Amino acid sequence: MDGLISQQSRSLLSFSRRSFLRGIAGSLAFSGLSRFVRALPDAVYPFNEISPAVSGITWVHTAGKSPERYLPETTGAGCAFLDYDNDGWMDIYLVNSGKCDFLNPNPPLRNALYRNSRDGTFTDVTETARVGAGGFGQGVAVGDYDGDGFPDLYLTQYGRSILYHNNGDGTFTDVTEKAGLAAPGWASSAVWFDYDNDGRLDLFVCQFVEFSKSLNKSCGPGEEGKHGYCIPRLYQPMPSWLFHNNGDGTFTDVSKASGIGKYPGKAWGAVATDVNNDGLLDLFVGNDTVPNFLFKNVGQGRFEEIATQAGVAYSADGRARSGMGVDSADFNEDGWMDLFVANIDREMFSIYQNNHDETFDDLAGPTGIGAATRLMSGWGLKFFDYDNDGNLDLFLANGNPDDLIESLHNQVKYQEPLMLFRNTGKSFQNVSAESGPAFAKPLSARGMAIGDFDNDGAVDVLVSVNDGAPMLLRNNVGSQNHWLGIRLVGKKSNPDAIGARINYQAGDLKRSRMKVGGGSYLSSHDPRIVLGIGKRPKIDWLEIKWPQPGGAVERFTELPVNRYITIVEGKGKWG
Amino acid sequence: MAPASFFMFKYLPTALISTLLFGLLCKASGQVAKRASISEPSSSVQQGITLAKGGHCKEALPLLKKATLRAGDKDLKRQAGFAGIRCAMTENQPDAAIEFVRFLNREFPHDPEVLYISVHTYSDLSTRASQELAMRAPNSYQAHKLNAESLELQGKWDAAAKEYKLVLEQNPRLPGIHFLLGRLLLSKPDPAPSAAEEAKREFQQELEIDPSNAGAEYVLGELARQQNELPDAIAHFSRATKLDAGFGDAFLGLGAALISTKKFSEAISPLETAVKLEPQNPGAHYNLAIALSRAGRKQEAEREFAVHRQMTQKGGPGQESQQATQPENPN
Repeated sequence: MDGLISQQSRSLLSFSRRSFLRGIAGSLAFSGLSRFVRALPDAVYPFNEISPAVSGITWVHTAGKSPERYLPETTGAGCAFLDYDNDGWMDIYLVNSGKCDFLNPNPPLRNALYRNSRDGTFTDVTETARVGAGGFGQGVAVGDYDGDGFPDLYLTQYGRSILYHNNGDGTFTDVTEKAGLAAPGWASSAVWFDYDNDGRLDLFVCQFVEFSKSLNKSCGPGEEGKHGYCIPRLYQPMPSWLFHNNGDGTFTDVSKASGIGKYPGKAWGAVATDVNNDGLLDLFVGNDTVPNFLFKNVGQGRFEEIATQAGVAYSADGRARSGMGVDSADFNEDGWMDLFVANIDREMFSIYQNNHDETFDDLAGPTGIGAATRLMSGWGLKFFDYDNDGNLDLFLANGNPDDLIESLHNQVKYQEPLMLFRNTGKSFQNVSAESGPAFAKPLSARGMAIGDFDNDGAVDVLVSVNDGAPMLLRNNVGSQNHWLGIRLVGKKSNPDAIGARINYQAGDLKRSRMKVGGGSYLSSHDPRIVLGIGKRPKIDWLEIKWPQPGGAVERFTELPVNRYITIVEGKGKWG
Repeated sequence: MAPASFFMFKYLPTALISTLLFGLLCKASGQVAKRASISEPSSSVQQGITLAKGGHCKEALPLLKKATLRAGDKDLKRQAGFAGIRCAMTENQPDAAIEFVRFLNREFPHDPEVLYISVHTYSDLSTRASQELAMRAPNSYQAHKLNAESLELQGKWDAAAKEYKLVLEQNPRLPGIHFLLGRLLLSKPDPAPSAAEEAKREFQQELEIDPSNAGAEYVLGELARQQNELPDAIAHFSRATKLDAGFGDAFLGLGAALISTKKFSEAISPLETAVKLEPQNPGAHYNLAIALSRAGRKQEAEREFAVHRQMTQKGGPGQESQQATQPENPN
């Protein structure tokens, strides 16, 4: 009877019905992620990891971890697929930490640009391209802001961000000062999109919190007296930036004029999407410990923040969560863009279905995504059709930001596995356990980008890892179905055709896609869109609804399959 | 438990109270001595305090009890109260101890020392009662139940479950035990995949025995809601609200489930009740705002959104402050 004798008074004092009832919501029925991958031969797995020895990507992220636990150490960094030399093959950009007020690494750290050698390997061309940066990097956003046909790079950093203009000859030039895009502070994700439909790419830059070396807070101590990274709740929120592209290589800060600057947040992820099908791109922003933002574009260069009324600001019980990565896609094929936000452990991620009236319902419970992500902390994520069956699947990159978390919560892990949910057309199936050994590997994943680096129509994945080597995953199953890859080039509309709608039909399969701006976390994706059609032999027709100010609808038939094509706005033909 | 440690547990709390009170008595003894000659009644109280200090509790108690009846010097009363608790506990007079605790709390409300001693006194009395239960009826279902609750609190989940099952073996239709077992299954930190289903069965069995258990109905509602069985959830939450009209969480669960089924107008009434019952719960205001907004009652919705915003931004109950001054770990 030792329990009775020694502890009964405590039990009577503190075990109330209320605390139990409050607690159960988070503790029910978590079956756990299987860490046991079925023993299948490598080639059969949907994804397999390409080792650095094979890919040649030997660069490693350095977090710069210190005993003081400066918060930016745990949040980076991002990655990108881009075709910087326009050779039709996806290159890779990786962001690193670097010099700032709390870190002066010796030797200096640098970012990396890897050129695709078209044989499954990559070559480090950072020095030649002059894109090493060197500040405390966070994210990367790729966009052709000047319409010269070559993708430019915007690097967000803690301190001062950088705009690298692509010179078209394999080199870049830092044009930040001229462009007016330094955005001093702690910039996180950035999104290129044309908010005012003038045909030029503008730039939204997330700002996290007010931070400096002197403002860093010490939390803990945890095990062995170690200090942990503090919860962002302890830091002051800051407004994000919106920069209008003037068309002459300069930008104007329209944060205040647009209404966006009125809202201090703690922004991590952002995606430009059109939630009400009005032809104006809206912004969904994941905020950490404060409500998320849904900036509805009301035209005339103005935005209204409607997240609370829309039902995407808070959890179902009205609590602000730790929103990190976000994305938007029409996952249920009803013609309306849905939303996704990843949160921290014990909060569950949210998958928001668009109700067609500027409100959303969280389907995390019914889809099983809530239970599967209950203990996870999500950063990079993307909807894409990995198996080319015509349905948008979901890839999640995870990792807890607190390296002492396991001493605080025995169920939560610091390093977490990747997750893959297959969209069956009716529901999402968690197929992580059968998708390859990479999905059993504990990671401190942060950024995540999609791109078809081997041009086989199967969209591959790049995951950046905090304080570790990036992970390149080759998709083995997408090419088992038929597909068509399209590259859109805007002429009247913005050069990257952000906001374009692609509708297509292949037999009984009718699908709609939107080319969103950004999505994921600190990362940028292959600008091409791969349209999966399953086993159907051909695409009957394809329609492109170009964004304004073009706005035309172009229809194509007699299309090839299993290859990439380029569609230039207004040409009326593909090439 | 070995006899030696049992003995130690039996007397440790009393010894602790004695030590605490001895310090308090010594601190004030100078003041007490100075005031001893001021009046005759005070003199007898002072004598009681002196006797208590010397360990003569039997003799001291009648004198100390007088202090609770007479108006007089506040400090003297305070010292008499502390001495009275010590002596009552030493003499194993729980009623007297409780009287002294009540007296001190009445005369010195919010006094930290009084509150501190009150906690220890009640705790000691609680321990003694549990010891008596263990000694007098070690195999009774009450003893097993209390032991199970204690083991559960210590995180000894399997041992606790075993104790609850022992209770059920003795009294298969004892109300409350299946509920506690279900609660235990859901509270375990690493629940088996089948835990929710097992818990569900326990709550259902509880309701067979005691159809008036609102808590069981509520948890079944939550389980159903999380499994997206919304009609079931609504039925369980509705029954919980009928069984316990003051059960705010059940009204909130009902409203939230109705929102999930897009019955926004129907959701408003239970959510209004939830707000009335739990005005400091931001979740109740938030869900009411959502229901009102989607039912087209935009102005009322805005008011509720504003209340919710105010509560969450200012770090009201149920919501941690964004302006917290004490650093904490991320999770």
